[in-house]
Amino acid sequence: MNPVKFSPLFLLTLCAVTTFASAADASPPADARVAQHYAIGKISTPPGVDPQLGGLALLPDGRLAAAFHHGQVAFYDFKTLSWKIFAEGLHEPLGLLLGQDGSLLVMQRPELTRLRDTDGDGVADRYEALWDDFGMTGNYHEFAFGPVRGPNGKLYVSLNLASAGDTIREEIRGEWSPIGLSREKFYDIADWKKNSTAAGRMYGRVKWRGCIMEIDETTGAAELFATGFRSPDGMGFDAAGNFFINDNQGDWRGTSPVHVVQRGGFYGHPASLVWRPDWEGTEPLKLPIEKLNALRTVAAINLPHSVYASSPTEMILIPQTAAWGPFGGQMIVGEMNSGRVLRLLPEQVDGVWQGACVSFVDSQALRGGIHRLLFVGDTLYLGRTHLIWAGGEGIGTVKLTKTPFEALTMHATPHGFRFTFTAPLAAGAAEPARWPVRRYYYKYHEPYGSPQTELTQITPSKVTVSADGLSADVAFADLKPGFIYDFNLSGLTSKQGESPLNPAIAYSLNKVPTK
Amino acid sequence: MRFFYLLVLAVTLTSSGLLAQTAPTPKAKAAPAKKPRIVKMFMRDGLRFEPPRLVAEPGEQIVVEIENNDSTDQTHNFVLLRPGTRDAVVQAGLALAEKGPALEYVPPSADVLVHSRLLAAEGSGSIAFTVPTTPGIYPYVCTFPGHGMIMYGALYAGVTPPPIEKDPNILPMVAQGAVAGGGQRPFAQRIFMPDAGPAAVAIALVGSQNVCWDAGQCRLRYAWQGSFIDASENWAGNGKILPIVPTKPWWRAPKDDFPLRFGAVDSAAPKVKFLGYAATTTGPVFHYRAGETEVYEHVLPAAGRPGIALRLQIPRATGLVFYRAAADPNAQWTSSAGTWRDGVLILTPAQAADVTLTLTSALCTP
Repeated sequence: MNPVKFSPLFLLTLCAVTTFASAADASPPADARVAQHYAIGKISTPPGVDPQLGGLALLPDGRLAAAFHHGQVAFYDFKTLSWKIFAEGLHEPLGLLLGQDGSLLVMQRPELTRLRDTDGDGVADRYEALWDDFGMTGNYHEFAFGPVRGPNGKLYVSLNLASAGDTIREEIRGEWSPIGLSREKFYDIADWKKNSTAAGRMYGRVKWRGCIMEIDETTGAAELFATGFRSPDGMGFDAAGNFFINDNQGDWRGTSPVHVVQRGGFYGHPASLVWRPDWEGTEPLKLPIEKLNALRTVAAINLPHSVYASSPTEMILIPQTAAWGPFGGQMIVGEMNSGRVLRLLPEQVDGVWQGACVSFVDSQALRGGIHRLLFVGDTLYLGRTHLIWAGGEGIGTVKLTKTPFEALTMHATPHGFRFTFTAPLAAGAAEPARWPVRRYYYKYHEPYGSPQTELTQITPSKVTVSADGLSADVAFADLKPGFIYDFNLSGLTSKQGESPLNPAIAYSLNKVPTK
Repeated sequence: MRFFYLLVLAVTLTSSGLLAQTAPTPKAKAAPAKKPRIVKMFMRDGLRFEPPRLVAEPGEQIVVEIENNDSTDQTHNFVLLRPGTRDAVVQAGLALAEKGPALEYVPPSADVLVHSRLLAAEGSGSIAFTVPTTPGIYPYVCTFPGHGMIMYGALYAGVTPPPIEKDPNILPMVAQGAVAGGGQRPFAQRIFMPDAGPAAVAIALVGSQNVCWDAGQCRLRYAWQGSFIDASENWAGNGKILPIVPTKPWWRAPKDDFPLRFGAVDSAAPKVKFLGYAATTTGPVFHYRAGETEVYEHVLPAAGRPGIALRLQIPRATGLVFYRAAADPNAQWTSSAGTWRDGVLILTPAQAADVTLTLTSALCTP
């Protein structure tokens, strides 16, 4: 900080700043206020079936398909409000997708499976292995997510790393990578605490762990698509076909990232590098950080840990219908640890992906564990789960009843950010003190998580509000790429006197636009 | 962290408090403070606690995080009791009559060790307590009128619980729910299994036989008779705890020997590729490729004898097919076709198109 002499007038301004900042508590909105804008409800789950959800899909006949923790897939008829079991006995199914041939695709721990009802009795009688050419050590953390279908018609699945919270089973499936701690050490359980450190907090010693795989829906032929993931629960595409994948805070994940993924890319967690065909045998954990930094693509959007999200989940697009008002077309993501769904506002700036996250619906009425998202008609369905972690159960529903006052979009500009709002800003919005920002970044390193680093409280140098009050340009004297600009907009009000329902919005600035 | 809401009650009962009455053992001088273990407890539709039993060490500090997820909007509580007092406390709860609501239906009784608040549907709360130092089976029950007769479970403190289906402290209906498939036969459950590769299938056959079939290795691994797997611990956790095979397998395949050979009995084991299975009314028909050869393998109960059968259908074998049936002094292999030589079944291509191998054992009961 530069030493500055304060004039009395400046001190007065500073007091005003303080007033705004202390009023500017960006805590989640009161549930009662959320209820004025969103109708939150639920539907039943099948009787006798564990109500933890791994997948949701919409069938061509309008029924809802849901996959459950104990391995059932069941169909919900919106007309009769009743469930019918379609398939049973799957191993931790964590994704459902309608097949192009009318079958139902389900990703279970050991396999991407195609379920078929060949005799037309409404119950699956064929459980076909579409793709299972990936490794399993039996470690509990080797979850398998997907599939999603890309604009090229290919399927994509993501495979979790194993956790040092446990070792590997005696019998494993698939090839073992010799790169890293020797396999015998994985069986030296008495010393597992020490050995697990050498194994890596999360490890991927069998094939395609920590990778994104591309699979041909007809032949089951698979190809490595991208590396560098840890526990990538959420995959989705934007309207232009860009591929978004998120991951969970942990080792090498200072906070939960959202990546825009390209073929051949590496996205930060080093364990899966051993599965790159060009990998020459160096143990990824021993690579200098500069080397990893040179290899990796940084997150497009960082979800600040525990404030915005702790465990992000499925990402889908809000339908562009009148029911969803101005939010139509935007991307949303679920969150396990609180009753929250967030909006993501990605953009590409001079070839680099970046953008903001902001809560969409944040209410204890949503409960936690929001794992799978699906729009059916005007309703957003939320499938919850928890396993041994924070979360919830059952299927929730959300409808927009009255558009709240919110920051609608946020774009980087050469000097700061341009916001648009769902309703015109009231007078006074041009006061920079109403736009306090916490600026920080999360470290890229092996330890679990990261503190908010180089945290500085800043205010814009200038705010210009458009004549219609619907947008504002917020400029900073010193715009720093590599930082998260975490705005607290609770000092703003609309012309109707509303404050933003979700005032916290955080932009991950990777690149300052040149124009 | 959970951000659940409504009624939250944290009751910490140290060994000097209420539970000291059940703890005659002299207490050790303050052990180093250990973080209490968090245990989740869900109230579910049909008046059920999930999990239906808890296992703890005597004197262990635990926090039970409770969520009422009963979608039928029922109100519940969680009341932990002294051993053997469940019926008496439930009756005392009913006897509260109009005084019940004010007491949240918990009768004032020395048999009540600790309890949650009354939780409305979607309510949650937690109770922190020290497990009694006296080993025993401590029932937990919902004392809301009408619930306690079936809505109960048991905390095993320093006592090894019996197989769930034989546990007299669990409602039989609930115990059946812990068995994968809920008692359906046939039933195939893909799940981690002990003594198999990680891509395993547990199969309950019609009758009383069960097998573990390995989808990673495309072969039968072992067979047991009696109850199917208890997957409750596996499902209550994150998959780390393996399901329980409740009785000792009467037959096991050798660890690394795929049984089929094509062309020559001592040829190298073919590489296998699992292709899936058909669910039939008589059990799953597995489909795989061994080398270039397609195989269908239908797992069935043995016809008319105690044991199991494998109906193999190899529609396009081009030469002799060998099935290397592992020697086991307690088990006998027979077949509907082919020639046996030194424990190897030799099949012509025509025989291999449809042959049933039967495995029986004196260890099985009819």
